[in-house]
Amino acid sequence: MAKIEARGIVRHFEHAGYRLRALDGIDLSVGDGDFLCIVGPSGCGKSTFLRIMAGLDAPDAGEVLLDGKPVSGTGPERILVFQEGALFPWLKVSDNVEFGLKMAGIPGRERSQISRRYLDMMQLADFAGSYTYQLSTGMKQRVAIARALAMDPDVLLMDEPFAALDAQTRDLLLVETQLIWQKTKKTILFVTHNVAEAAVLGSRVAVFSNRPSRVRRELAISLPRPRVGADEALARVQREILAELRPEVRRSGGGEGE
Amino acid sequence: MRGARRRPGSRAVRLIFYAALVAAWQAAAEADVWPDEVFPSPYEVAEDLAHGAADGSLLHGVGTSMWRLLAGLSMAIAGGTALGIAMARVRVVNQTMGSLVLGLQSIPSVAWVPLGLIWYGPFDAGIIFVTAIGAVFAVAINTYTGVKNIDPHYVEAARNMGARGGQLVTNVLIPAAFPYMMSGFKQGWAFAWRGVIGAEMLFSYLGMGSLLNIGRFTNDVSQVMAVMLVIMIIGMVVDGLVFRRLDDRVMSRWGLR
Ligand SMILES: Nc1ncnc2c1ncn2[C@@H]1O[C@H](COP(=O)(O)OP(=O)(O)OP(=O)(O)O)[C@@H](O)[C@H]1O
Ligand SMILES: [Mg+2]
Repeated sequence: MAKIEARGIVRHFEHAGYRLRALDGIDLSVGDGDFLCIVGPSGCGKSTFLRIMAGLDAPDAGEVLLDGKPVSGTGPERILVFQEGALFPWLKVSDNVEFGLKMAGIPGRERSQISRRYLDMMQLADFAGSYTYQLSTGMKQRVAIARALAMDPDVLLMDEPFAALDAQTRDLLLVETQLIWQKTKKTILFVTHNVAEAAVLGSRVAVFSNRPSRVRRELAISLPRPRVGADEALARVQREILAELRPEVRRSGGGEGE
Repeated sequence: MRGARRRPGSRAVRLIFYAALVAAWQAAAEADVWPDEVFPSPYEVAEDLAHGAADGSLLHGVGTSMWRLLAGLSMAIAGGTALGIAMARVRVVNQTMGSLVLGLQSIPSVAWVPLGLIWYGPFDAGIIFVTAIGAVFAVAINTYTGVKNIDPHYVEAARNMGARGGQLVTNVLIPAAFPYMMSGFKQGWAFAWRGVIGAEMLFSYLGMGSLLNIGRFTNDVSQVMAVMLVIMIIGMVVDGLVFRRLDDRVMSRWGLR
């Protein structure tokens, strides 16, 4: 049975004078422990889709199933890492990571153990007492991931978490993310513009079509891990994804992303 | 701003300015253009200050006014914060209270004095009422603006991590809106300070405003000026020490500078 499943998700948005059909019946089934990467042209509805999966937005039609049961609204078992990070500037790094645990009423000592573990994992142990304005973009993004992991969700929803990073930091995090995924066995839905990123990370890749979006194609990637960005097999997968993506990007008239 | 205040010369410039001001005042008083009962010399005012400090009347006045201010202002902050959040988050509250609050905010604090007298009598409660009501709407409006301006991602992230109802208010809405709320507190304090002095003058029941009044009734110009000086100094101290420092911290912490 699928861990999390989207069935016929439709979402419209009202714009000045017309109704924009962003998602046009998305069907996606993600198995327990899958790492699903979602690529698609800019503005096709990837963020919208993740928000619906997180329960932060409601579809006009269709449903989200978790362990086979329909869910509505947010839940601690589905945590979204925002494209914008959305860390709380008024809290220290460690308090950011502990936020959800505090809301759940977990006592302070246990909370700080958990936050220490994930900050260590993200190599941020020295910054537990810092505020977010004292961090670089890449560090903020790692805090956001630590904050999500601290919730110990079954499903991690990540919206272009590495988009704003420099190449070196991104390469580092690409390896880290694979290790964390292998270690924690989380189900991950990971949106990206970057075809290379999708090929390195995904156990599967879903290519969204241009608006109104559907899943144009799903590919499985069974290359050994940890994958790093240079070998021929990986390049072949990248070409395959690009071949699906390119016509959609042309149709949207946008650039190809990265 | 921070850099400008720390510049070494600025303190000296300020010192020279105030020294010159006092010297000019002294010269004007010595020129005897106006009689002493109308325009005292800085020496006479200082004497009055020393006298008031020695017999404890000034200290008592300051203490009384400050405690009324604190009582009124904390009520205004509590009530204004609650009202502002409700206006920002509950549509019907905004539709109803929103315009009313804007209207009430335009009433000067002293205009509440008659109501304060009628409802609470000419005692502490009446003065505190005037102080609180003079500040509460400024706090409410700034809180409202602050909550309206919160990055929606903060609220969504918090909801996703399980924050609900009151948790959301105390852990996200208030801290996220705090930079705006700070301006509300600053305005609220300014209104409250004016309100408390105004009310004390009209109620004539202890406090700095009442000391001003006594000076006026006894034609004691130097007492009037001495009290005004103290009122001004308290204002400068609160602005400069309390608010500017808090502002600096909040602005840098929230990454706004
Ligand atoms: N709140 C909203 N109101 C109106 N339209 C919206 C809203 N949110 C999204 N849209 C529209 O829905 C479409 C999909 O937006 P979404 O942000 O999901 O795209 P995306 O695939 O994540 O794009 P990108 O890759 O650039 O991040 C866009 O055309 C956008 O204009
Ligand atoms: Mg997006």
